Amino acid sequence: MNTTHQHIIKSYDDELKRLTLEIVRMGELAVAQLEAAIDVVERRDERAAQRVVDNDDAIDALEQEISQDVVRLLALRAPIAGDLRNVFAALRIAADIERIGDYAANVAKRSIPLSRVAPITAAGGLANLAELAADQLRNVLKAYAEQDAEAAYEVWKSDADLDEAYTVVFRALLTYMMEDPRNITPCTHLLFMAKNIERIGDHATNIAENVWFVVHGEPLVAPRMKRDTTANPDFDKT
Amino acid sequence: MTNMNEVASQPGFGTSPHASGVDLGQVAPKMFARDVNFHYNDFHALKNISMDVPEKKVTAIIGPSGCGKSTLLRIFNRIYAIYPGLRASGEIILDGENILDPKYSLNRLRSKVGMVFQKPVPFPMTIFENVAYGIRHHEKLSRADMENRVEQALRGAALWDEVKDKLKNSALGLSGGQQQRLCIARGIALKPEVLLLDEPTSALDPIATSRIEQLVEELKKDFTIVIVTHNMQQAARVSDMTAFMYMGELIEFDRTEKIFTKPDKKQTEDYITGRFG
Repeated sequence: MNTTHQHIIKSYDDELKRLTLEIVRMGELAVAQLEAAIDVVERRDERAAQRVVDNDDAIDALEQEISQDVVRLLALRAPIAGDLRNVFAALRIAADIERIGDYAANVAKRSIPLSRVAPITAAGGLANLAELAADQLRNVLKAYAEQDAEAAYEVWKSDADLDEAYTVVFRALLTYMMEDPRNITPCTHLLFMAKNIERIGDHATNIAENVWFVVHGEPLVAPRMKRDTTANPDFDKT
Repeated sequence: MTNMNEVASQPGFGTSPHASGVDLGQVAPKMFARDVNFHYNDFHALKNISMDVPEKKVTAIIGPSGCGKSTLLRIFNRIYAIYPGLRASGEIILDGENILDPKYSLNRLRSKVGMVFQKPVPFPMTIFENVAYGIRHHEKLSRADMENRVEQALRGAALWDEVKDKLKNSALGLSGGQQQRLCIARGIALKPEVLLLDEPTSALDPIATSRIEQLVEELKKDFTIVIVTHNMQQAARVSDMTAFMYMGELIEFDRTEKIFTKPDKKQTEDYITGRFG
């Protein structure tokens, strides 16, 4: 990291530090929401699910706070170079986390209709998927807090594993639907939930790209293995 | 616009043993410094400075007080030569000729390289005479031609509309910002090729500063400009290239956008972001 020295104006350092802490707090909230969402799916607890949905407001509020802080920093401090990249990335990362929060809330919301029908065995794959996504999120937040571009790059590369796990869940759910049309409604919910979690992974890679940008001042460009093959035209023939 | 062949045939283009190694794109250096050293008696004020000044661009020099930025500017037009005990070595090549060569006439140099100082220094005479004074030193013009020339210079310095009805008034009655633009008019009246600005807005209010900055943007269509400034945001706003100097050395020289978003050197980053170095 190239900004180890302190600013001559101490309050400037404090404001930048505060911004980083807000992002980390927001990220931790999103991880907690994702874990809570999966928990309510497994426990089939409608009231708890509603609480997860309602808790999303806290993440949205933090995003607002971060936006205001960024505007204030830009207007009053006119940050440049590494400081500017930091402030700019904070704004983008906050938007990613906000979206992650939405996806987690949606998983919880869909667990409500799901809990009113017989349990589907394939739902088990969802927990595995969510665990992978939560790990990605935790790792990228750590990379952000430590401004560790290499760690961020590792997260970025690992998204392929999440894609692969999603493909497995997708395939299993298709099979269930083909087996019995009565499974279609719950499996469609599960499919959306799985997709939401897969998207959370994509936002984690966005955050990784921003960490890379903060540290190196240039975009992260490298080939990435795409293992979500469900959009391929001949997917059902494989 | 210069074509590539002309550009390539100019000294200093392409082969850059002298240059700072910075890619100026297709812009030829109008002027470049090669291994310039400067001493104020025993004080080594500039150490092996090599840098290109691209043609019809704005090059900003930034750095803390005493870093040598104003000294470098003063070498670009050899203004140091009026003081004893000062020595410069190395070369400043302007259009292929070394201006530090004693054979390069000062008169010729001053007509090619104009300078504007930190504090506006209007001469205690009329607005018109302030501009005409320098022209008379170099050229003999008819009254009509002179009037035309003064008007051109005042228009070029974005001052004409404010002073056209009071050209016979004393220049000392103008505001600080107007006085500075008058000095710029005086500078460009000689039709120089290079314009050196030494902290031209440090004594001006923000509105007058904006006017000068806008003017710099217009002037670069016709002139190669080098500006020394303490105001980092000003360097960011007006310049194409930025040189960061520290303790007599050129630490980093690159496109302004690069310097202010991702400088290569930590020293540069610390300085521009206001950190303890």
